[in-house]
Amino acid sequence: MLKKLKDIVRKSSIHVCIVNCGGCNGCDVELVALLSPRYDLEQYGIYVHNNPREADVLLVTGAVTEQWRDNLRRIYAKTPEPKIVVAVGNCPQSGDVFAQEGGRVLAPVSDFIPVDAAIPGCPPRPSEILEAVLTVAPGALAAKGRAQDARKD
Amino acid sequence: MSSLIWYIYEFARKTWIDGFFDAKSKEDIAHKPDRFRDFPNVIKENCIGCGSCTASCPSPNAIKLVRDSDNEESTGLIFPVINKSACIRCGFCAEVCPSTPKTLECGENHFIREEFNIIPSKRKYIVDDYLCIRCKKCMDACEVGAIEEIDDRLVVNQSKCISCGKCLETCPVKGAMRGVFVNNLEEQKKIINLTVNTLEKYIESKQDDLIQLGTDKLFLDELKFKPIFDESLTILNDEEVVHEVLEDAINRLKIRIITWDGDNCKKCQMCIPDCPTGAISFDSDNDTIVRDKEKCLRCSICYQTCPFGVIKYFLAKFNLDTNDNDEEVIHISVKASQLAERRA
Repeated sequence: MLKKLKDIVRKSSIHVCIVNCGGCNGCDVELVALLSPRYDLEQYGIYVHNNPREADVLLVTGAVTEQWRDNLRRIYAKTPEPKIVVAVGNCPQSGDVFAQEGGRVLAPVSDFIPVDAAIPGCPPRPSEILEAVLTVAPGALAAKGRAQDARKD
Repeated sequence: MSSLIWYIYEFARKTWIDGFFDAKSKEDIAHKPDRFRDFPNVIKENCIGCGSCTASCPSPNAIKLVRDSDNEESTGLIFPVINKSACIRCGFCAEVCPSTPKTLECGENHFIREEFNIIPSKRKYIVDDYLCIRCKKCMDACEVGAIEEIDDRLVVNQSKCISCGKCLETCPVKGAMRGVFVNNLEEQKKIINLTVNTLEKYIESKQDDLIQLGTDKLFLDELKFKPIFDESLTILNDEEVVHEVLEDAINRLKIRIITWDGDNCKKCQMCIPDCPTGAISFDSDNDTIVRDKEKCLRCSICYQTCPFGVIKYFLAKFNLDTNDNDEEVIHISVKASQLAERRA
């Protein structure tokens, strides 16, 4: 009974933190577009924070730069369990246009923190981001939460 | 107090309650716009393995040329592979791909070439330098500054032109600024041929009336536009293009007609050596002058030579107009040439 209630709560209220680890801000603009009335992110129970301690989902954008090497791990450590990481756009996956010869980007993000989902595109369309977060986040959060509860018992 | 009532009113509104319990995004947020370039689509069989797509790609890991393993029958295919997690959907690879048909397709190709408009349009705007009076009204009307002055001539810069058609509206000289249709050139040719042939056939059938016509009289006639228009539509099914091509062709068309009144001919044979193409000859067996219509240039030299008025020469002009019943008709006016009278 309690487990089911926890599942429902975890599924219906997803708190998101946007982490831009050194990108061009294109993906961040698309994420901000999700807050607009046309897409209206909050009607799906998704809330955007800029505090990792309150977040369930980390939306990582940008190719990882030198300064973000340690900070990314710190932010991931600060996020409470259960947590998932979604890589938004191409930069966190491959470095995209920044991964030139002699460049100083440390992409992919999966070298530093475990990534649960990736959305391709440069930038992805807001509807694609919404679709990906909604398909992955509730299920993954509930499953991880159950596993965590099982470990405690 | 009033603000409290206002709050209650706001919260009690049905739309608000509906939105609160049953919120939905509109369906169209998931629709991609028509001109949205998605990830390139690869058609393996067309690839020639030139590598221009990899050279043009701005993202280092996005596109790679790979080769299938060889088997007994043939060597392996070479083809590009798109890595979706690095592709930025710029479409450069599809634009540079030189194979025909293209190996890479990426939405609408824009082709960064001068002769193609960046914005897809049926028309291409050009200045007719012969008719242009250099008033530069089109330069003022153009909102993107696509009309430039080069060596005292006005030229439309095709890479800037957005095909809005404002230059065409402001141009005071008919025909100096032209929006020509760049597609379906073969069909346009067929339509023009059809129009000229139909009108020529019609006017040739009126020869008997023309012979009676006095030198200072006009022969006026009307021909229905609809049948020609309908027949043209079967060649090219685009009313806008067909109508403009037909209107242009009809309004510019001038047909010269030679009539031959054989009864008055005195067989003096003066016209025979004058004819530049040898269309006129003397048939000694039947004792008649024979005119080969196929060879005739309609240059009017025989008409100017003939002393007995056997040959007559007419000029037919056409104009597309609407009549009183709002039907489109072709006005035909035929006038006898007065060259012979002037000479005398």
